Amino acid sequence: MHTIRLIVKNLRRNPIRSGLTALGIMILVPVVTLIWSILSFLDAATEEKASNLKAIVSERWTLPSQMPYSYATSLSEGASREPDDLRPEDSMTWSFFGGSLDPKTRTFDNSLFAFALQPQKLLTMMDELDSLPADQKERFGKVVDKLASNRQGLILGEDRLAAIDRRVGDRITLYGLNYKDINLEFEIVGTFPVGRYDNSAAMNVEYLLAALDAYPTSHSGKKHPLADKCLNLVWLRVPDRSAYETIGRQIAESPLYTSPSVKVETASSGVSTFLQAYRDLIWGMRWLLAPAILVTLAMVISNAIRISVRERRTEMAVMKVLGYRPNQILLLVLGEALLLGAVSGAISSIATYVLVNNAMGGVKFPIAFFGVFFIPNDALWWGLAIGLATSFLGSIVPAWSTRSVRVVDVFSKVG
Amino acid sequence: MNLDDGNPIVNAHDPIVLVRNAHRSFRRGNERVDVLGGLSLEVPPGEFLALMGPSGSGKTTLLNLIAGLDRPDQGEIFVAGDKVSGMNETQLAAWRTRHVGFIFQFYHLLPVLTAFENVELPLLLLPLSARARREQVMTALDLVGLTERVRHRPGQLSGGQQQRVGIARAIVTDPSLLVADEPTGDLDAKSATEILDLMAELNTSLHKTIIMVTHDLRAARRAHRTLHLDKGVLVTEPDMSLYEAG
Ligand SMILES: Nc1ncnc2c1ncn2[C@@H]1O[C@H](COP(=O)(O)OP(=O)(O)O)[C@@H](O)[C@H]1O
Ligand SMILES: [Mg+2]
Repeated sequence: MHTIRLIVKNLRRNPIRSGLTALGIMILVPVVTLIWSILSFLDAATEEKASNLKAIVSERWTLPSQMPYSYATSLSEGASREPDDLRPEDSMTWSFFGGSLDPKTRTFDNSLFAFALQPQKLLTMMDELDSLPADQKERFGKVVDKLASNRQGLILGEDRLAAIDRRVGDRITLYGLNYKDINLEFEIVGTFPVGRYDNSAAMNVEYLLAALDAYPTSHSGKKHPLADKCLNLVWLRVPDRSAYETIGRQIAESPLYTSPSVKVETASSGVSTFLQAYRDLIWGMRWLLAPAILVTLAMVISNAIRISVRERRTEMAVMKVLGYRPNQILLLVLGEALLLGAVSGAISSIATYVLVNNAMGGVKFPIAFFGVFFIPNDALWWGLAIGLATSFLGSIVPAWSTRSVRVVDVFSKVG
Repeated sequence: MNLDDGNPIVNAHDPIVLVRNAHRSFRRGNERVDVLGGLSLEVPPGEFLALMGPSGSGKTTLLNLIAGLDRPDQGEIFVAGDKVSGMNETQLAAWRTRHVGFIFQFYHLLPVLTAFENVELPLLLLPLSARARREQVMTALDLVGLTERVRHRPGQLSGGQQQRVGIARAIVTDPSLLVADEPTGDLDAKSATEILDLMAELNTSLHKTIIMVTHDLRAARRAHRTLHLDKGVLVTEPDMSLYEAG
């Protein structure tokens, strides 16, 4: 109790130095928190799950994957033919339709990229949307129902809606970007729950298919170039790894998928493959940037503590003369650093959490298909841990050096 | 608190400080400097002793040995019946808290603490209730006449007042021995007199044994006995010109 009082008083002795050190911690902790948030999110996404896996079926040899839509039905069944063949628990197909609001000039703000899919799958197969809290699920379920009943419906993320400056209920026309000459009229029927899909768009795949079917009538009988290439991905939900492998084998051995041939991988290995392109960046963030910041932080703290120890050697000698033991003095110095580090680290991470997640709606860091990152709840502890760890590392040497303060110096200094 | 409670272990006739053939030398580069070469000294309980001598004669070295801040290379030192020369550093630290009060030339108060807290500092090392601590601190501050200044920090006090706080801190654990190294060296004449009055008062009314190193003849005159240290040897007849000059 008295020790803490003395620690606080010592910190208050030089408010500018303590304040600057705290400020340094408060600035650097959010940076590390952001980096770790992104890394932990990517780690979670690439971590191989043992159960409830998603298998991704895509074209084997080309990127982007473009499969004929005729593959959809049988792939959704996991290419099962015999009655005792294994079927996936659930499935969904992915097609991507990019369109621009303005047929001539295309900017980021006037174009969007929609997932064309079977509407109900939004609720059962999509990451995070398949596990919404009850109230959000009910609201979003109604939006999905509208997309199912209205083939021209379009669901947008809040940010995308704001970017194109439209409201729910508005009608828009999208002039096809990847599907040349396919121009579709939509009615915006609702929005995604706030979060991961803030910049996304979803449409009913039937609408895209119908447009492709109708294309020849207006183009002298010629099929659209992408007519047989409009299935980009199929996702299959399987209960465990052995089911994943069985279904993978069924698909690989099926005679149906020869031209083009297809491959099956897990969602995480798919993400990993995608992240290969960012490998150096991620490696650098994890092993260079974050450690460099932590070392800087430890040095900032070390510097402040070293100066304050040097100023107070006589005081420490006096305390030893009065009977304080070397370890008590060491703890006093260590305690100063730890208190400063813990308090400013904790304040900083709580502030970062609230600011990023609540005020800013996540960090925009477009890497792979993730656009927005949120600070995980665990990160509330990171600031405390970073503060404690760096202040310990930064202060242990100066704190230890107080052991060499000799009591005889107290009088000797006097003459 | 019972400040005038004599130390029961010590017989009134036994010396409270007994230095027997103490040697202490220091290395300076390759040289060995013998500061104390077989010094012996007895201080009876309740004595107010002044130690004088030219600079570098070993006064502080002797004081450090007696107060348990340093150990002799050879010889024995007993204080209040305890063999100080045989203790290790941890034992010495605990022993100092209970048995020796220190008064410094430059007061050496912690600037962040109030007068009260500075005086309380040694008591925090003892198993005392907050109430007992408070009573003892207030008694000590009362003895030095500073009850009006308990909430002041050293920076808000004059030199004389700071030295009073220093003295209160020295007596708050009720030690049998007070050591002071040039306690008036940094004070103006008036404050110096007041501090010396206070020390004499502690000596007479509370029977504190005091060993005071000083350069000041007026200070030495307040003591019962003055010993002169010259090149590590206690001499009876000092060469007074040494002091007159400095
Ligand atoms: N820790 C030490 N290391 C080396 N020399 C010391 C040390 N302490 C004292 N001395 C030397 O011992 C001599 C006596 O010092 P000191 O006892 O402080 O003298 P005084 O207090 O009488 O002026 C001086 O020459 C001083 O330099
Ligand atoms: Mg001296």
